[in-house]
Amino acid sequence: MSPGRSSRPEPAHGSRMPSFMRGKASSYFDRHFQRSAMKILPGEFYATHRDEVIVTVLGSCVAACLMDPVAMVGGMNHFMLPLSRRDQDPDVFFAARYGAAAMEYLINELLRMGAQRDRLVAKAFGGGKVMEGLSDVGSQNILFVRTYLQQEGIPLWAEDLGGARPRKVYFFPHSGQVLVKRLEQAHNRTILEREVSYLEHVALNRDGSDVELFT
Amino acid sequence: MGKTILTVDDSSTMRQMIGFTLKEAGFEVLEAGDGLEALERARGQKLSLVITDVNMPRMDGITLVQRLRAQPEFRFTPILVLTTESGLDMKQKGKEAGATGWIVKPFSPEKLLDVVNKVL
Repeated sequence: MSPGRSSRPEPAHGSRMPSFMRGKASSYFDRHFQRSAMKILPGEFYATHRDEVIVTVLGSCVAACLMDPVAMVGGMNHFMLPLSRRDQDPDVFFAARYGAAAMEYLINELLRMGAQRDRLVAKAFGGGKVMEGLSDVGSQNILFVRTYLQQEGIPLWAEDLGGARPRKVYFFPHSGQVLVKRLEQAHNRTILEREVSYLEHVALNRDGSDVELFT
Repeated sequence: MGKTILTVDDSSTMRQMIGFTLKEAGFEVLEAGDGLEALERARGQKLSLVITDVNMPRMDGITLVQRLRAQPEFRFTPILVLTTESGLDMKQKGKEAGATGWIVKPFSPEKLLDVVNKVL
């Protein structure tokens, strides 16, 4: 067991995210898995050293599950690249910066809890083409998450990406295990609405970077 | 000769994005992956500016600011902190260490360049 466990900070979620990443993960007791469960929505993340389960539902968004198997800490984020006008370069760069920040928030929280960067491994999910007619944002998200992990030298241990159906993902940070449930298209109105409203929210707050000069 | 900026971040993706923005604007860019590497890279260099992340392995950004400020040649070099940290206590630590400014990620290139030009 890793040392210094008692001094670890409490599990942390979305509260550290900037204003355009909103909401708060909500917790409940999952009877089926007999443990506490944390549900995250688009734009949120959650990191923990406890033996619990992190749950999310993905349409074209992606979720990265990161863990340090030695320190037994893990976490999940849930995001989408705001690629609304793909032909315009500044938008592409904004998208990539947004994605990189979403990954970094989670990574920093894990490091704070005792994870080591060079021990991190990942599993990635989502990026479905579930919005008919809309440009294929799912594949952009997949491309981003794969490229990012590769560039950061974080091994991708497992993935379930792409396809046409939304997914419900259960991540158990202690064992590193992930269960994926494919959902029926017919029931995913809420998922789509949530993702679209999240996307709009991100687009509205795109210039929100907070600057302070000390004088 | 262009002005040289040292960017310090443990994420190579982030270094690439910051580097791209700065190079496009005509700056020379040096990179380091953590505070210790940054101190090595800075040695003997004439730097116009340092941009550093906070959370990094081996040596964090706040310690890097303190260590640079302790060296006479970097006492007055502008140092910007570019981080996901937005807490007031962390900002205060950066200020006390001698940082010039604080930018919360994700950054917009226009804003980053705007701040860079302000402190240069």
